[in-house]
Amino acid sequence: MIHHLPTIRSNQDGYDRLAELAKATSDLMFDRLELSLSRVSFLDANMAAPLGVVLAGVADRFNTVEIVEVPEMVERILRKNGFLTQYRFEPLPDNNRTTIPYRRLQRNDEGLFEDYLQQHLKGKGMPRMSEGLGKVFKQKLFEVFQNAVIHSESELGIFVCGQWFPQKQKLDLTIADAGIGIRDRVRRHFGNDKIGSVPAIRWALQESNTTKTGGQPGGLGLKLLHEFARLNKGRIHIVSRFGFYEFNAGQESFAKLENDFPGTAVTLEVNTADTSAYCLASEVTREDIF
Amino acid sequence: MKTPVIVRIFDIVGGPLCVSAEDGQRVHDKIAALIRDDQPVILSFERVETLISAFLNAAIGQLYGEFPEDRIREMVTVQDMDAEDMAVLKVVIENAKKYFSNPKAFDEAWREEMGNDNE
Repeated sequence: MIHHLPTIRSNQDGYDRLAELAKATSDLMFDRLELSLSRVSFLDANMAAPLGVVLAGVADRFNTVEIVEVPEMVERILRKNGFLTQYRFEPLPDNNRTTIPYRRLQRNDEGLFEDYLQQHLKGKGMPRMSEGLGKVFKQKLFEVFQNAVIHSESELGIFVCGQWFPQKQKLDLTIADAGIGIRDRVRRHFGNDKIGSVPAIRWALQESNTTKTGGQPGGLGLKLLHEFARLNKGRIHIVSRFGFYEFNAGQESFAKLENDFPGTAVTLEVNTADTSAYCLASEVTREDIF
Repeated sequence: MKTPVIVRIFDIVGGPLCVSAEDGQRVHDKIAALIRDDQPVILSFERVETLISAFLNAAIGQLYGEFPEDRIREMVTVQDMDAEDMAVLKVVIENAKKYFSNPKAFDEAWREEMGNDNE
């Protein structure tokens, strides 16, 4: 089959279009997908991660995936970040060092994720980004990665990709998985299969709420991410199945996608111009910690 | 009271990356055994570079389900921890105290609000 992908921005519409691709290809098996990018006038580089999720699902059903008719500007971005090299395109060197490459990792690859962040975040936004901010940013990305490891059940792995915008002083990084989604975890937890994707995300964002069992507290990863974005004046997107959540400029919003995105994707946009000393809670001392 | 022993997190985990619940569990098992033996512990985070809540929930948070708060305060201290990590640990501990005080309360409050939607 041939599918024409439209412009993919890092926003609700972008995820809707990817979920549409997932729906259009859901019955494809032992076949071939020709994904034409001829109608793509722009593709936000970090969206290569959720696009990777959808295409990994297609390929997993024994289909051949080919990406064709790629406009020059889009091709440049996606060859530089390594996404298109998965589809037999030649790599293109990133001379400006603004890309944070596309990678597909397995759930037990936390060491590789560490190497990835070490290698590709360095020099991007720093030295303006204070040392504390750099450390806390990395910490939050690991919170998201571990959420995917613990909760997603993604057999196809975890997909990461980002982009640094030096002029705008921001850095976007998306971590996506092809797992069951927040909704199904929450449904299982409550024993209720009528819980929708949006209320499930809303529940997961609340401090202390966790689907973990076995005597371990949890439910802090997303809360800490949220707190970080608030202090940093950054932005978060969480997409999981039909649910979309955005935190931007201190405002939260929820929306329902038209189609089912086959997994969960979290984007963290960090404001690299934030030079303030970073600490998420003030004046915690060794003496009063326990 | 016995002289405290230093538990070096870096050595137990085998590196500077403290992110997984499995590694946190190994740290927890060592600390819990020492507390049961009335052995005070100092947790040293020297050379630890990345520390997140998933690890700390397992390593330290779950102690609050096994020992009273006072007992933990008496037996466990931390050292070589920077301000950012200490802030995360504080959040983890406050959350654990709340969780073990009434683990089902949050779910019950939400049960009514989850709606009815297939998508």
